[in-house]
Amino acid sequence: MKELKHIHEFTKLLDDVNNNLVQQAASEGKIPLGYTCYYIPEVLLNVDKGFSVRLRTPNMGSLDVSTYYMSNYVCEFSRAIVERGMEGGYNFLGALIASETCTEMHRAAEHFDLLKLVPNDKFFVAILDVPFKTDDHCVEHYVKQIRNKVIEPLEKVYGIDYSDEKLREAVKLHNEVCKIITEIGEFRKGPTPRITGTEYHILNLVSYTCPKALIIDMLRDTLEEVRNRKPDPEGTYRARVVMVGSEIDDYEFTQLIEENGALVVADRFCFGSIPGREQIVLPEGEDVLTAIARHYMETSQCARFMNKEKVDGRKELVRKLVADYDADGVIYEQMKFCEYWGYERALSFHILTDEYNIPTLSVDRQYTVRSGTGQLRTRIQAFVESLEIKKIHKQRG
Amino acid sequence: MKNLESYIDKMIEAAPTPQQTAKAMGSFMNAAGKAADAAGKMLTKMADKPEKPKGLGTLYTDKTGILKHREWRGVGDTAYDFYRWLYNWKDIIDLYKSNPKGMKDCLMRYRWMGSYLTLPAFMDRHTMGLKGTQLKLAHESYNMIMRNFLTALMLIGKVDQHLVGDNPIAKRIIVFDELIPSQLWAGFPTLLNFPLQSPPLFFPSMLEQSMSKHYLDAVENFGVPADVCPLPSAEAGMAVEDDYPAFGMCYIACNMPCDGSAMTSSFQERRLNMPTYVLNVPVRYDEDESQEYAVAELKKCIEYVENLAGVKYDYNALKAACERYNEQTEIELEKWEYNRTDYPQFTGANLWLFRMFSFAGGALKDPRYLQVERKTKELMEKAYARKEKRSTEIRHRAIIWSCPANYYTDFPLWLENCWGICGLMDMETNTSTIKFDTSSPESMLRDMAYHYERAIMRKHTKGGYAHVLDELWKQVDLYHADMVIMYDQISCKGMDGLVGDFEDQAKERGVRMIWVKQDLMDCTTISRRDMREDVNKFMYTVMQEEPLDPSLVDFDDSLAW
Repeated sequence: MKELKHIHEFTKLLDDVNNNLVQQAASEGKIPLGYTCYYIPEVLLNVDKGFSVRLRTPNMGSLDVSTYYMSNYVCEFSRAIVERGMEGGYNFLGALIASETCTEMHRAAEHFDLLKLVPNDKFFVAILDVPFKTDDHCVEHYVKQIRNKVIEPLEKVYGIDYSDEKLREAVKLHNEVCKIITEIGEFRKGPTPRITGTEYHILNLVSYTCPKALIIDMLRDTLEEVRNRKPDPEGTYRARVVMVGSEIDDYEFTQLIEENGALVVADRFCFGSIPGREQIVLPEGEDVLTAIARHYMETSQCARFMNKEKVDGRKELVRKLVADYDADGVIYEQMKFCEYWGYERALSFHILTDEYNIPTLSVDRQYTVRSGTGQLRTRIQAFVESLEIKKIHKQRG
Repeated sequence: MKNLESYIDKMIEAAPTPQQTAKAMGSFMNAAGKAADAAGKMLTKMADKPEKPKGLGTLYTDKTGILKHREWRGVGDTAYDFYRWLYNWKDIIDLYKSNPKGMKDCLMRYRWMGSYLTLPAFMDRHTMGLKGTQLKLAHESYNMIMRNFLTALMLIGKVDQHLVGDNPIAKRIIVFDELIPSQLWAGFPTLLNFPLQSPPLFFPSMLEQSMSKHYLDAVENFGVPADVCPLPSAEAGMAVEDDYPAFGMCYIACNMPCDGSAMTSSFQERRLNMPTYVLNVPVRYDEDESQEYAVAELKKCIEYVENLAGVKYDYNALKAACERYNEQTEIELEKWEYNRTDYPQFTGANLWLFRMFSFAGGALKDPRYLQVERKTKELMEKAYARKEKRSTEIRHRAIIWSCPANYYTDFPLWLENCWGICGLMDMETNTSTIKFDTSSPESMLRDMAYHYERAIMRKHTKGGYAHVLDELWKQVDLYHADMVIMYDQISCKGMDGLVGDFEDQAKERGVRMIWVKQDLMDCTTISRRDMREDVNKFMYTVMQEEPLDPSLVDFDDSLAW
């Protein structure tokens, strides 16, 4: 396929968390607000003069110092966040909004406080308590947490206006970005997709890490371009897969899979678009904040949710994605040392393969793709071959 | 007469002058002083002379750790210890006699059941080197723990559907996650309750070090990574192996204490295949607004069980149980107070093991606990009043922090016997001490929420680093400790995430901190011997001390129970 017009610019934006657009917004008086987890409603960090930056650690080197503080049994993502913080990579942030959802990331956020990582008098760390299920009283608790730990401090420290009007404005912009990203994502369906998984991963990562207002035009252009793009002929890729699992903020992981012949047609992982890029509906008569909080609780596919509907729903969603995107199989991945996804991956693997009959590759992986590519490549190649063999057998009846 | 007078005169003449008398007296006193001084020096020397090492390590058979003979503790204590050993056997035999077929079937059906046969050896391990009141306290408390679990086995033998098929009692049991303290079920006096993991896994893993290995292998073969915490992992393994007892009207899962534990619920739920309620306990528990949510959760849970069982929650029954529990808490706090003095009474392994099980159920569930508590209180008071010396010299007053290894529960006793490191407080013991306000249902539920938030392994690992990091230094000050034994439970992410901070702050405060690596349920990753080695190295090289009992420094118990 012809290269997308803005793809190099998008890729460049992912080289640094404090990229040109973040710097531009900050220089215009906007407040960069860091977060790392879907449990922090992104849209609430984009209200009025605040803007969200989902934290990544591009080009991370040694993790020695953070390993001293957090041991090498904690996931590399958490350690990398602390390491980058110590390097001064997040000094531009106005606040870090975190949650005590996974223990490891919670400890990472605490180190911003313990080690005073950001030399900014106004900087603060907020840590939310998020329920493990989605009943009404749980949503109520979540709303209170957001109000007390996100809205009130941001209003007080930075004077961010959280009026209903501003909230609705933020939801509008958020929904527009989501609409574009989702629409582009739809082009992954069908036998001849007009966008690759890698390109899509890049676009989506940009939408999480850059000020929305500064990227929306480029996203609109890209949507238009994809609409009219001439796809690669059918069969360019040997297989189509849905990627499922824990946090992936490195598009090179998707690239690695696609280099080995499997097109990633759906991204159901943290930092992916399913969930993440659904539009927020604000029902008439419901409090705006509650509607937003409910949206995040209901759409979340985090393995941490314990109620049966969510536990079963996670597996059902993967089955649905395989059907909707006409995928041949699933790559179920989990970052090493992640407790939640470690269990979820093991159980889901059995359910997907034994009960749903969906070929699934189950892998645990390092945070950065560059470390440990060899093994991963071999496993992906073998999986793609097995999918091909299955297809051949199917054709032969 | 004349003769007498001249004799007296001669005597007077011969008698020493007052100066001569004073001189002689002075010489005598001097000699006596020297003798007394010498005697004093001898006594001091005798007192300073280190007690002869007990040579406890020589009692063990190499590798299996089986005792070659019983420990000699003096006539009275040896006789008492032997009597208690027989008494434990009597309890086990009584259990068997109560339902021979049920117990036999249970033994054949469940691999974990065999671990209970090692109960007497567990008692021996945990009373090693103890004498006098310490020995009595230990036997009283361990026997109570044991009886508590034997009662659970009795229930399994009678109603487990794997063993006896369908039966009406099986449908009257609330099965719950072991991390939920039993308070809540006290309001359902007509229903039975059963902590799912404690009798089949948690306690047996303490009885026999390699007990959980099979379940860990099973779950790792299933695909769960080996780097997760092995406690929930073994729980999931038990579900994979279908080795949980089969009964219950519902399962109450919970999000305590950690991420892994929350995740095993989905494994257990699939296996148990019965109606499940997930009880949420807030993690940021210091915040007032979390309490409303916590109480709402308890109410929802009560409502759920009420609807399923068709019974009403009985707040009077809850009140009676809470009052029993309050008395138990008072006694617990008294133990802690003694441990702050120079004459600590209830320490180390005994402290945390008894506290753990009495916290989880204790007097609430089993009124026998309260009798034992009252007896231990009496024993402690007497021993303290007469300033009874401990069985082993206390060289270091220690706080034991982070989660202990189930496969080496008597490790704190080894610390005392081998190096004189006395564990005065530990993280498992230091949980909620709230006394329930029983004036109204609302006040009881409010306090129950508070209590649950500060449950075992929950209080310190959730809600922010201050609960575990700052809290440690508070305990160090409270107990005048000069040393911290820090379990480095390699798969506990909550503790792993703060290792450097512990290290930095210990250095700043000048507190000696010994890191003891362990893997909670998996003795094949880090053995008991490896754990001892971490301490030995530190004591020899950093502290430059010699052990109290050199025979305990290094021995192989890799094949022991």
